[in-house]
Amino acid sequence: MIAGRLLAPLLMLFGAAAAEARQRPPDHGTIVIVVGREPSTPVPTLLGQKSNNDVSDLLFLRLAHPGRGLITADEKSFEPELARSWTRRDSLTLVFDLDPRARWHDGRPVTARDVVWSFNRMRDPAIDPANALLLRYLSSVTAVNDSRVVLTFRKSYSEQFFDATYHVQPLPAHLVDTIPPERFATSAFVQSPVGNGPYRWVRREAGRSLELAGNQTFFLGSPKLDRVVILTAGDADAQMNLLLDGSADVYEALPPVSGPPRIAGNPALRFQTQPSFGVLFLLFNQRAYGDRSRPHPILSDRDVRLALAMALDRTPLLHSTFGAFARLANAPSAQAHWTSTLVPNGPAYDPAGARTLLERRGWIDRDGDGVREKDGVPLSLRLNVVASSSPRLIMAPQVQEQLRRIGVRIEIVRLEGPVWNGRRNKGEFDIDFSSSVLDPSPTGIVQSWSCAGRSGTNVAQYCNPSVDSLIETAISSTRDLERNWRTAYASLQRDVPAIWLATPSVLFAVHTRYRGVTLRPESLYSTMWRWSVDPTRRIARDGTSQLAQ
Amino acid sequence: MTRWLLRRVVQAALTFAVAIVLLFFLMRAAPGDPLSRLVGERNVSEQEIAVLRARFGLDQPLLSQFQAFVAGLLRGDLGVSIEQYPEKVTSLLAARIPPTLLLGGTVLLINFGVGSWLGVRQAVRRGSRFDRWLTRLALAGYATPSFWLGLVLVAFVSLRWRLLPAAQMTDPLLPLDAGFGTRAVDLLRHLILPALTLSLTSMALVMRHQRAALLTVFRLDYITAARARGLTERRVLWRHAWRNTLVPMITLLGLWLPILVTGSLFVEAIFNWPGLGSLAANAINARDYPVLMGTAMLVSGAVIFAGLLADIGYTVADPRVRPT
Repeated sequence: MIAGRLLAPLLMLFGAAAAEARQRPPDHGTIVIVVGREPSTPVPTLLGQKSNNDVSDLLFLRLAHPGRGLITADEKSFEPELARSWTRRDSLTLVFDLDPRARWHDGRPVTARDVVWSFNRMRDPAIDPANALLLRYLSSVTAVNDSRVVLTFRKSYSEQFFDATYHVQPLPAHLVDTIPPERFATSAFVQSPVGNGPYRWVRREAGRSLELAGNQTFFLGSPKLDRVVILTAGDADAQMNLLLDGSADVYEALPPVSGPPRIAGNPALRFQTQPSFGVLFLLFNQRAYGDRSRPHPILSDRDVRLALAMALDRTPLLHSTFGAFARLANAPSAQAHWTSTLVPNGPAYDPAGARTLLERRGWIDRDGDGVREKDGVPLSLRLNVVASSSPRLIMAPQVQEQLRRIGVRIEIVRLEGPVWNGRRNKGEFDIDFSSSVLDPSPTGIVQSWSCAGRSGTNVAQYCNPSVDSLIETAISSTRDLERNWRTAYASLQRDVPAIWLATPSVLFAVHTRYRGVTLRPESLYSTMWRWSVDPTRRIARDGTSQLAQ
Repeated sequence: MTRWLLRRVVQAALTFAVAIVLLFFLMRAAPGDPLSRLVGERNVSEQEIAVLRARFGLDQPLLSQFQAFVAGLLRGDLGVSIEQYPEKVTSLLAARIPPTLLLGGTVLLINFGVGSWLGVRQAVRRGSRFDRWLTRLALAGYATPSFWLGLVLVAFVSLRWRLLPAAQMTDPLLPLDAGFGTRAVDLLRHLILPALTLSLTSMALVMRHQRAALLTVFRLDYITAARARGLTERRVLWRHAWRNTLVPMITLLGLWLPILVTGSLFVEAIFNWPGLGSLAANAINARDYPVLMGTAMLVSGAVIFAGLLADIGYTVADPRVRPT
């Protein structure tokens, strides 16, 4: 009885035997990826977390994908996916012709109806406010016939094509159109999604693993890695050990300081870095702690925010946390953005200048306790930090110490994930130690740094109509693009709504038997279906396993 | 005896009921909204969050939530996980209990089998070099944090010598057609390191208890009398002395039984062992109240049940404490 119970999960794990089986070609194989966060809802509209995005990109295609350079404003650089071709009727109208070979994993063709349904779902602010904001210039999506879709925009702008193709991964309308939006996240479809990409869903064991199988009828080419297993291991040591003992082939979150030396000594592993869209920053709440009806008593003063920014020497913070694997950030622009080189430098490190600025604003340490006061109010701020983020936990005490030197008391409030999230969403913070994975297009800036974003992810309620206007000019322009973006970033910097700290790289370790390993910052594994196994270096799991059909 | 047993069972049931009430209200008193994570991490709309809040009864007053929970409990329904919807809590617990029992049972078996035997050997050879060295080693093991020992074992046994896997309970890529023997060997290979980690850091307690209990018994007159009667040393040891050390050992076993179900959070994390400890830790992180209640009830139930078993064990092992 006991033995039976003990073996039950094992039998469940391996019990879904293949109905048919075939031997693998010599360059085909298996890949095991170890991740820290489980991709529990890897379905468009429910993404948000990186691991969900990565898996979703294996299951679902877009109309087209930005080219390797990620110049999101360059329409010509895009590569076809679901759309075989596209034409412009005029500056406001794009016509997409779907590839007739594109099929859902249940065998049904991908049609214009799927595309229209998905766009309409994602443009609904009640359902997906963040995407709705990004698609605000899209006025209509219509199906001309089964394979032709017409997208009409309200205005002409440089990133129009990106908006038309990137934000929406079409869903199979024939399977999801009967699911009410408010029940989608918990629907059976999300438990076992049917996509149209190079990989199809096999099974998920909650909290443990997720398995995908190569879609052998994938219209762009059959994947050579036939089986993808994503293991979830919450503990960072367990993740690393699974890689080092050969149980996993890929680990994408190597610790920046201690990880690379451990990989360097292992001939079976290769270490790669990749620019990311991630940015770490100290977010200043513009409104009072937990009360959005009042301005923040300290941080609503732009000069105080600037003084805090000037008092921080970010370079040592960066090196102690990320070693050589991050760059200083100066705006909500990550190193993988095409605009990253346009961002002017932020406020220079100048603690003396910071002290002078605070004194000028009336913040003086009158009682000699090391903390400045104004009208009896001490210059004391709560810094919320989520306890699950090692980089932020390393940096927070350094921030505290550097600001102490100019007479600012920082109370580090270390919070568990749900509490941190809850406080962030309710505005219960003075400074929030934030981290964002930004949209590949610089236009995503509007989500968190515009007045319109206040109902969504702009939790600090930052709003400056003149900055909005400059961002809008940059987004809308088709000429002087670089100059306009530079001006927009500079205007945002002048307001100091945050101290941008770092844009880290993705540190990625992969087994050396894989060939053709290329990574994409916006979608790490989107080219995985082109990877293959060196036939001379196959290991047991590449060759002896049989492939589920 | 029956009346005593009944009274003891009723006491245990009452204690369990009080524990449930406390657990329910204390968990909800802790800060953190179980659904807040869905907004930030999964992009679930406010509209859907409201529906989910209603579905999980989180929009109801606390007392109504408690009533619904008790009603479900009486039907044997612990509800549905918030984090891993639509998984039932009972299914999640059922999936995690076998790995937990396997690891906990192995540790218990090693500790009370090997540990008791070593404790007996130490008592018999009291003061010898064997006794002194084993005492030092056992205490060193006891003083070693399990997570540290686990990492050291992995570093050498798995990563340097490549003898055993570093983590997981099974190889997820085991061929689909693998037979029972292959699977059993695979399971055993994955079990050795976590079981060894937990045993090496806790076996000292059993050894020291066993040694001390036996030395106390060795000094008693009836042992001298048994030896005077010419009984073999083996018979004196196992038949007369060791049997009388069972009461303190049963007490220890009673304290230890809950480990069978609670597992060890750190060791489960390091070895990525899919036990109840990691389930509970994830549920705490996500404020997944139904799963948290399920695991907490299981643990408190195990503690209470183990206490009850230990009490019954005394009466079996020692007629002097048997109720009349």
